[in-house]
Amino acid sequence: MKHNYKSIARCLSLCGTLAGLLLPATASADDAVVVPPLEERLQLCAGCHNPDGNSIIPENPKLSGLNAKYLNRQLKDFKSGDRASPIMSSIIPMVDESEFKALAAYFSEQKRTAGVSEKPDLAVLGKQIYDEGIIGSAVPACSGCHNEDGSGTDKYPRLTGQHSLYVSSQLTNFKSGERKNDPKAVMQTVAKRMSEAEIQAVSEYIVTLKEAE
Amino acid sequence: MKTLLSICVALLLPLQATVVVAADAQPPKVFGKKGYFWDEMTPERAAVLRGGGDPVKGKESFRGCQGCHKADAAGVREGVYPRLTGQHASVLIKQITEIRAGIRSNPKMLPFVEDPAIAMEEIGDIAAYLATLTSVRENGKGAEDMSARGKKLFTDNKCFECHGKNGEGNAAKSFPVVASQHYGYLLREMKWIKQGVRGNSNPDMVKAIAKFSQGDLEAVADYLSRLPDYRTVATPVASK
Repeated sequence: MKHNYKSIARCLSLCGTLAGLLLPATASADDAVVVPPLEERLQLCAGCHNPDGNSIIPENPKLSGLNAKYLNRQLKDFKSGDRASPIMSSIIPMVDESEFKALAAYFSEQKRTAGVSEKPDLAVLGKQIYDEGIIGSAVPACSGCHNEDGSGTDKYPRLTGQHSLYVSSQLTNFKSGERKNDPKAVMQTVAKRMSEAEIQAVSEYIVTLKEAE
Repeated sequence: MKTLLSICVALLLPLQATVVVAADAQPPKVFGKKGYFWDEMTPERAAVLRGGGDPVKGKESFRGCQGCHKADAAGVREGVYPRLTGQHASVLIKQITEIRAGIRSNPKMLPFVEDPAIAMEEIGDIAAYLATLTSVRENGKGAEDMSARGKKLFTDNKCFECHGKNGEGNAAKSFPVVASQHYGYLLREMKWIKQGVRGNSNPDMVKAIAKFSQGDLEAVADYLSRLPDYRTVATPVASK
């Protein structure tokens, strides 16, 4: 898992504070689950993902505009451990499964902000991979499933303007098999056929994607 | 006695399991291997054919295919990925199920088409959807027009008996449409059929093209790539 450890530390200390505030309530509720109101629960997510889901920490994904079904599935996978994440695995025990739907719905309704590429010279190759795939190594075009503007569908997450650092970390994790909660193992297949350089390039293009008007 | 019996059972159980695993691990019967019968109906193919297809659902299921075959299902001009538009549903079902069964060798496509990437129920839907499409993009053709030589080879070797005079194939017999397919794809597949590496080759076709030179294969591929969409030929043109 590729992460900037400074930001993980920043995140964890914040989460720790929040956990400190929240844990007594959860611990005393062994029998009956105490579910806080959505606004309160959102504060837990906001520390890392921003209140509107447009995370400003490049290692952490933007959740805004993600399809609710996709988000819900990710939350469930974090809970079950099917998707491993050192940060989310420490947060998710505090959240009850009954809250997932509302959280997913909330973030899916937030507007995704535009992203900025810090390596725009890579975006030319990235665009070619995104739109045309890599024919020699049978990498399908990303646009085939995620749409040309990265808007995605029920099954395929929105990529538009997503942090390049996050996208490349996920592709790297799919490639290594560390992330394997893609239901059809399709992303693992795709990422395994990509080189590190191709992963970097396509991630730099994805961050520049803007929603079609 | 009871102990003895349970020991026997304990000894036998793993044995039985091994046998089952070994039976499962049997490689598929492919062209060139003993026991290969061309066009042998697999249980999955039979089930898909029985189930029919819904082109509306197929459009959504096709999303997972269009990264390579493109949103218009016309593939790529260089022919690395074939044009699927207007292909007979029966042919698409045969090819997809045989790729899934490992009979047709296609390691690049397999992970995207095997279960669970594509559920069995989706195969018929995708095939029904593709059969309804017409291509608007021009297909890839040979560098130079060799259609006269290609037509002669196609005729002399009776290729039309299966693939039709207009390259329209035969839906009932699962012979593919070859008209206006990409040149590069036709050439590659003919080579693979000739070399016996496609896995699900028809022995009759292997025999028919056994003596074809590289130039012959190129000429036939070029000829077929220049044939119009058979549906435009089969439909009578309104007289002026």
